[in-house]
Order: sequence, then C-alpha cells, then structure tokens
Amino acid sequence: MEPLIEEAELTRTGASTDAMADSAGDHEKKVSTRRKSPTQIALARLRKDKVAVICASIFVFFVLIAIFAPLLAKLEGQDPTTLHQDLVDQYGYPTIAPNSEHWFGVEPRLGRDLFARFVYGARPSLIVAGSVTLITTLIGVIVGLLAGFVGGWLDRILSWVIDFVLSLPYLLFAIAVPAVLLSLFVGSSENAAADDVASARFFSLIIVLSFFGWASLARLIRGEVLSLREREFVSAAKVLGVPTHKVLFKELLPNLVAPIVISVSMALPSYIVTEAGLTYLGVGLTEPTPSWGLTIAAAQTFYRADPLYLWIPVAAITILVLSLSLLGDSIRDAFDPRTRR
Amino acid sequence: MLLYILKRVLSAISVVIVTLVASFALFFLAPTDPAGVICGPRCTPERVADIEASLDLDEPPLVQIGSYMKGIVVGRDYTTGGTTQHCSAPCLGYSYTLGQPVTKLLAQALPVTISIVLGGAVVYLIVGILAGTIAAQVRGTSLDKAVVGTTLFIQSIPYFVVALLVALYATFLPQSGYHPFLDNPLTWASGLLAAWLCVGLTNAAAYTRYSRASMIETLGQDFVRTATSKGISRRRVVYRHGLRAGLTPVVTIFGIDLAFQLTGAIFTESIFGLPGLGQLTLRAFGQYDLPVLLGGVLVGSVVLVVMNLVVDIAYTFLDPRVRLG
Repeated sequence: MEPLIEEAELTRTGASTDAMADSAGDHEKKVSTRRKSPTQIALARLRKDKVAVICASIFVFFVLIAIFAPLLAKLEGQDPTTLHQDLVDQYGYPTIAPNSEHWFGVEPRLGRDLFARFVYGARPSLIVAGSVTLITTLIGVIVGLLAGFVGGWLDRILSWVIDFVLSLPYLLFAIAVPAVLLSLFVGSSENAAADDVASARFFSLIIVLSFFGWASLARLIRGEVLSLREREFVSAAKVLGVPTHKVLFKELLPNLVAPIVISVSMALPSYIVTEAGLTYLGVGLTEPTPSWGLTIAAAQTFYRADPLYLWIPVAAITILVLSLSLLGDSIRDAFDPRTRR
Repeated sequence: MLLYILKRVLSAISVVIVTLVASFALFFLAPTDPAGVICGPRCTPERVADIEASLDLDEPPLVQIGSYMKGIVVGRDYTTGGTTQHCSAPCLGYSYTLGQPVTKLLAQALPVTISIVLGGAVVYLIVGILAGTIAAQVRGTSLDKAVVGTTLFIQSIPYFVVALLVALYATFLPQSGYHPFLDNPLTWASGLLAAWLCVGLTNAAAYTRYSRASMIETLGQDFVRTATSKGISRRRVVYRHGLRAGLTPVVTIFGIDLAFQLTGAIFTESIFGLPGLGQLTLRAFGQYDLPVLLGGVLVGSVVLVVMNLVVDIAYTFLDPRVRLG
C-alpha cells in the first residue's frame, strides 16, 4: 500500500525532473494524474538520490573496466601474464616506478604489469559475484514461491531445507567443499595443469556460494507469498481458472519486485567481498587468474617496500564494494518506504 | 511450552544428523582418494592399503558412517605405520598429516576462537550500545547523522581489508598471538588486543544501528514519558528504564551473531596468525586433511545449531508475545 501523500509529493516534484514531461510543455496536469507502478515510483526516487547516482556510476565504471580489460591493456601496450624479469632486481624488488610504459609499475618478484592485472582483476570479481547473485536469486525466488503458494508437505520439506542451509557454518564449508570439488573436477591435484585447477576453483567457488546463498531470499519470498496468497486478487485469479503457473508468475511475482530488487542489491557487494576474501585466504581463485584477492595476498609481504602493489587492489575493492553497498542502501530506501530515515 | 522446546530440540538434532551424514558422504565417499593424499607422493601400495584399512575406506559406505558415528560415542582405534593409536570417546577421526586425533586439535583451536569472539563482543557491545543510545537521544542532529553515516561507511568496507590494514599498519598495538589465558592473563589479553579491536570496532557499527533504532522506539513509549513526568532525571530514564526495554531485540541479534562469528572468525584468525578453528580448517584445506575438515565443519554446525536453539528458547521467555508454533 503506497501512502497517498508519498505519491502526491512525488508527482509534484517529479514533473520538473521528468524530461518527457518538460518536452510536453503545458500538459503538466496530464503528467500529475499519470499512474505509475510502484517500481516506477521507486526508480524516480532513486534518480533523485545523489548518493545513489554517484555510486551507480562508479559501479558502471568498474563494469566498463572489466568489459574493456583487453582493450585497456592493449592501450597501455602490456598484458597480465608476461614476465618482465629485466625490471626486477636480484632481491625481487621492481627497479622501475610507474611510468608511461607500465602505468602502475610492475609486480615484485615476477615483474608482471600491474595495470593489466588490475583491469583484468575486475573480471573474476564481477563474474563470480554476478553469476552467484543470479543463480541464488532464481533458486530463492522459485523455492520461495513454491513453498509459500503450494503449502502442505512441499512447504514443510522446503522450509526444513531452508532452515538446514541457513544453520550451516557457511565459511567453514566454503573452505572445505572446494577441496572435494577440486578433486572431483580435475582428479588428483598433483599432476593437474594450473589452468585446469584455476577453472575448477572458479566453478567450485560459484557452486559453493550459490548453494549457501539462496536460502535467505527463499525464506523472505515465502513469507511474502504467505500473506499475498490470501489477498483478493489471487482468489479472483484462482476462481477465474487461471492456471497455477500463471498465478505464480503473472499475479504474485510482480508484487515481489521490491524484496527481490533489494535482495539483489545487497547480495552483489557481499559476494564480491566473499570472493575476494576467500581468494585472499587461498581457497578461492588461484593463479594464473588475475584477481584482486590474489594480488592483495601476494602484496601483503611487500607492503613497506612497494605500497602501491598492495593499495591498488585494496582501494579498488573497497571503492567498488562501498559504492555498491551504499547503492544497495539507497535502493532499499527507495523501494521500501518504511525504512526511510 | 514444553512441546515447543521438544519440537525445536528434535529439529535441531535432525539438522545435526543430516549435516553429519551429508558431509561424511561428501568427504569420504566422493571419488577423491583420501588415502593416496594422506600417504603423499612417495607411497607404496601396502601403505595405501594400510591407511585404507585403518580409515575403513575398504568397507561399504554404511559401515564407514556407522563406525564414524560409533567413534563419536565410544571412541575407536587407528592403526598407522604398525602402531595403534586410541582415539577416545568423542572421536572425530585421526589427522594423519598432524599425527593427532581431530578432537584434540579442535580442543586446542576452540579456546582461541572463543577468546577472539567473546573479547570482540565486549568491545562491540559497549561501543555499539553506547553510541546507539547517544545517537537515539540526539536524533536528527548533525551528531546523529555523523554516527549513522560512520556506521554505514564501516559496514560497507570489506572486513578482511580492514583487518589486513590494521595488522600491517597498526604497529603500535602489541604483537598479536595466542597465549593460553591460564598461563598469563596479561599476555593473553595483549596478544589478542589487535584482533579484539578489529572485530569489535567493525561489528560495533551494526550494533550502533540496532540499538539506535530500538532506543528510538522505546524512548517514544508511554512508560518513558511517565518516568520523565515523575521527575526522574533524563540520564536515569534513558539508562535505567529505556535501556532495559530497548535492549531485548539487540540481545536476540547478539545471540545469533555470536554463533556465526564463532564459525566465521577465519579472516581474523588467519590475518592475525591466531590458531583457531578457522585457521585449523584452512590448514587442513591446504594439506587435504579430510578428517580435520570434516571435524571442523561438524563442530561449527553443532555450535551454530545449539546457539540458534538457545536463542529461540530464550526469546520465548524474554518476550511473551512470541507465538509458539
């Protein structure tokens, strides 16, 4: 139920910011009576939120870096895997400062180009977090819809599974399970190629994070559906003989947009952190994948001699996660008027 | 009431048993060749057979799980390199890479994790509740906005980055490391100080927000107005009357948080070099030490399930409005 005052206030100020309305000129009255869906209202609120706009642009900036990583590296004239041993002295320290050839300098010991590793490092973070968010959202929504709407024994089983998954120590499993998955994918770990191990680690990370991630959204959706299914429009649809899958996806799902969007916006930064954190601990992605977590882990021993090596990935991950979290907060405020401060 | 508790206990037990069976199946029945890994690269077939026999890997799956569960209840014997090791009552297996029973390793690791989590909890409860209460009293002022903004900022920074930067740059803090409390409480505290501050100050952000929201609601209630109108000082109204009612929801969150922190202190442990549960599991991952991995996961699950149970039951006593079902 959208409060009436909210809507009135929105259309009043919305008219001046809405470009389409301005082009229409004197038809201001027409605009103010135009009906908007709750999602449109929320998006309009979001557009007015300066923090949200800034944070969203930072996120888009990082996505662009990830997409155009090869192009950016080519622009610099380097790639993330070539070893520049000539630029490293016999103690492993780089002999050059950042210059026009190596924009962020080179890695100690191996001498790989840091700018190239930085731009390529944006990719695994975003791909892992994005696909885990997508998978968990899909599973969570479907399980929640089924458990809430069908009820009965199915609900009891699904609810037990949700409770079960939520009561597992997820970080401990995130460490333990990849060990097993790894040997399933590539067999004995001693004679496996580094590339095979890296891709196996990549997929097992996605699998593990997805397995533990869907349950909280499923519980949330189930609760919402339990209250929605008693409402008149659902009864009406049922009486009219609308098939169950249509009731689920055409009647119920549009009413669940707000919790789903909020959950996605909160999940994305948390999975970026988890990926980087697990990788930092040595149980996530491995070499030769360029990843910020790996760079941070390698750079911590050089933090005095080569602070830039440590601070570039640290700053990147902090800025990305910070802006995504703040964006998530704004999205929640926009979609859920009750939480507005 | 009794029926509700019984139901919750039964469901908790079912979760633990399913976790046990599922993780056992995952670790020991998947085609992963644990014996070969335990044995290492220079390994004779006889040695593999020896390890397989002592781990019961040559038995059918049900027998393997059966003897593992029996080991938990009555203990079991392991044969390694001709000598027999007895692993007493709550036996969770035997770590071949460390040559010690898993139970003993866990018993060494748990006090470390508990020390970190409880010490951190003292810091974040004090800082968080105090900051939240103060912010609730000055609601809407610039001080309140600064507090809320700071908490939002702290909550949004990746925790492992904060911990790493503290470990690297906060050199004024005493060298971190674990010394048992009973040996010398002072060195125990100084070795854990950095970890406590790290856990405490980052989690304080969440508790500031919880207690601020809760106190705002409480301070708007009738009994607070009554207390004020009786002429009781503002300080006494807030800290005696208000806090008592306002903290109930915070305490509930604290119970659940505590359980998750006990199983999730991995970053703190690994960055500050404290040999706790997470560090143990992490090391076991590196050496593919399946019995230790399984033991760590199981103990973690039990801790989590038991804490959830305690919080649920305690909550029904704390708040009579909770509907039992």
